[in-house]
Amino acid sequence: MTILTGKAEAHPRLQSDRSGVLRKIWEHRADYAYVLPSIAVMLIVIAYPIYYTIELSFFNTPPGLQLRDKIFIGLDNYTAILKSPVFWKVTSNTLIWTVASTLIAFVLGFACALALHGEFVGRGILRAILIIPWVISAVAASYIWKWIYHSDFGIIGAVLVGLGWADRPPNFIDSVGTVLPSLIVVNIWREFPFAMIMMMAGLQTVPDQLLRAAKVDGANAWQRFWHVTFPHLRNVSTVTILLLAVANFNSFIIPWIMTGGGPSNASHIWITHIYELAFGRQRWGVASAYSVLLFLILMALGYFYVRALSGNERKDGSA
Amino acid sequence: MTRISLGRAVLRGTVSTALMVSLMSASALAAPVDLSKWSPEYVRSIAGTQDFDTAGDCGKVTPLDYKGRLTFWYQGVFEGDPDLLRQYYKEFFETFRKTYPNIQLEEQALTYNDLLDKFRTALLGNAAPMAVRLQILGGTEFAAKGYLEPLKPEDVGYSTEDFWPGAMKAVTWEGTTYGIPTNNETMAFIWNADIFKRAGLDPDKAPATWDDVVKYSKQIHDKLGVAGYGLVARKNAGNTPYRFMPQLWAYGGGVFDEATANPTYKEVQLDSPQSKAALQASYDMYVRDKSVPVSALTNQQADNQPLFLAGQLGMMISHPSDYNVMLDLQKKTTGSDKDKAQTVIDNMRYGLIPTGPDGKRAVVFGGSNIHILKPEYVEGGKVDEPAAKAIICMWTSPEWSLKMAYAGSNPGNLNGFKTKWMKERLDSIKFLDVTTSMLPYGIPFPALPQSPEIMNIIIPDMLQNALTGAMSVDQAADDAANKVKALMDGGL
Repeated sequence: MTILTGKAEAHPRLQSDRSGVLRKIWEHRADYAYVLPSIAVMLIVIAYPIYYTIELSFFNTPPGLQLRDKIFIGLDNYTAILKSPVFWKVTSNTLIWTVASTLIAFVLGFACALALHGEFVGRGILRAILIIPWVISAVAASYIWKWIYHSDFGIIGAVLVGLGWADRPPNFIDSVGTVLPSLIVVNIWREFPFAMIMMMAGLQTVPDQLLRAAKVDGANAWQRFWHVTFPHLRNVSTVTILLLAVANFNSFIIPWIMTGGGPSNASHIWITHIYELAFGRQRWGVASAYSVLLFLILMALGYFYVRALSGNERKDGSA
Repeated sequence: MTRISLGRAVLRGTVSTALMVSLMSASALAAPVDLSKWSPEYVRSIAGTQDFDTAGDCGKVTPLDYKGRLTFWYQGVFEGDPDLLRQYYKEFFETFRKTYPNIQLEEQALTYNDLLDKFRTALLGNAAPMAVRLQILGGTEFAAKGYLEPLKPEDVGYSTEDFWPGAMKAVTWEGTTYGIPTNNETMAFIWNADIFKRAGLDPDKAPATWDDVVKYSKQIHDKLGVAGYGLVARKNAGNTPYRFMPQLWAYGGGVFDEATANPTYKEVQLDSPQSKAALQASYDMYVRDKSVPVSALTNQQADNQPLFLAGQLGMMISHPSDYNVMLDLQKKTTGSDKDKAQTVIDNMRYGLIPTGPDGKRAVVFGGSNIHILKPEYVEGGKVDEPAAKAIICMWTSPEWSLKMAYAGSNPGNLNGFKTKWMKERLDSIKFLDVTTSMLPYGIPFPALPQSPEIMNIIIPDMLQNALTGAMSVDQAADDAANKVKALMDGGL
């Protein structure tokens, strides 16, 4: 038996692995030839833009110059971002937006899934109704909610004033203090059905025998949920939360259409701020630096997502 | 011998003069409009005094049987515009296709707020159209970046004197002209006489100064519970600078010295006491008196229009076209709302935009210009210049520059004021006189590539920072001034 004790001994195995990979590629060269066009397209539409964004992040792009006349400034865009008070405002908004939207949408979706898991009359109709926010386009939803919230025409303000509970319609999306929570409500309304569907699917996998056995052993409803149902749903919950987190971190339509990041940057999250920097102000360099940072964060979230997925697969015995 | 030579010379002279006259277009023969006499009375006196043959004039620039292809983007008609304008836009493209049946035209209409972003993105991908009609604010930016071909009125058969000098400044960058004005906008002050009367104000008198606007707005809100003045402070929307800059200039402020006769754009004045006084007036209306729509920070002018029609808004700044917009909106109302809307329309009054404390009166000299792109930035790498000149000639002709601005604006080509359509327009469109009277008070936005960012981002940000309490009035003005300085220094 050979015991691998150091670098010198490890190398031959790595080399052998590498040559094994190359040999496998060579053996399956015809298969690889089929996927080559797709790989080429992916390189053009994914790899090149990523490279170009990274390159741009080291340049200044003043409004009076064409992009091709950009000026190299090294890491200045990154340092400017970190020194800017807007960065911290936008980052805190993004964190609040992502964490609140993700967790509340998940909890609400999970609660609805549990409620809809049991048999009762009208369950199908209720399911269909609860899925509606998810199937409505985000653009349409944004406009609908904008009118619901509208401080002068909105139904909420009209009801509050009509009932005499307010002298003046409240400023839901025109006030620094309330704009972000108001947008989070819309986002949760849009997303909780997704969590509900995921958790409903997960609930189908909880073995009935276990629940029945727990009931026979005298476990009450809460104990059955906490000790049997919930552990079974751990992986699907992780995946759902990660998917929601990635979608929310990257969410653009609702905040952009409803407020454009205003008032006074109170509802700007990273992605809307990047859009404004790039397309509204043509600060392609700074916008690219933001994008690179965003890319790194999303890659980290993606890593956890893939790890959670592969964890699921290992547990299912499919890996 | 001598007599014969003289006779021949006279004959030659007569023939050549006749030939020259026949070759000259009606517009070339027309004496330019005398701007020193400009007044509503003068405009009435020249309206309907001259006929123009648009197809004939443009046929001399691009033959009518010319075969080609043109891609063209323009700022189209959108929600806040009257149906009448929609009709004229439709007619224009139908007429162009009839006049130039062999030019394959692919036109695309975009809204004011989308056009700049989409056009910039297309330019980065060398996928721009061959010709574009852009808001006045954008031209300098694209000329400075070298995207546009030099283009002056003479290139399409007109004379530079046929256009407003202020409008020509906005298409000139470092001494070269890069476009032709299609229309010039100057807005007016609009109020509801019935609301004024019920609030104890003189129903037939506009507020004389901006301080009066603040006072009237509060009085209207306190007495009637409706919004007094239609403040607009949305970011990335053209409506905001068009309403705030007249106030800023009237108080004696400015971004730079753009309100002076010969601006240098050297010194930033957003943090001057005069600029701060203008910002304070908006603060007083929104925060102190709460006399303007709560939704001002997310509103566009299109949101003020239904409020005004519903009798929920006392005063606003807009075009003469708002009268037609109100008529269009009223057609869509039902039951008792129809009568209420009619009452508001009957009580619509137009006046000059108020002055500042020192009697200064100002309005944004707005509008749009038309440009030709350089081939390297155009999709396919080719520009069909004769086709582009054909549409530009037609749009900037006395006839169409008037018709395309019929209800709300002024023709870019001053000869438009002499057409029979102008006479008809004076009789059918109410309140045109007021906006015509505002033309001499028009101030163009600074002709700088940085202007779109200043007007669409920095100015609305300054307003929002002050109105939301995120900063004090002083801090918001200082912050905006610093941002403009950093921008002009090429900062990040």
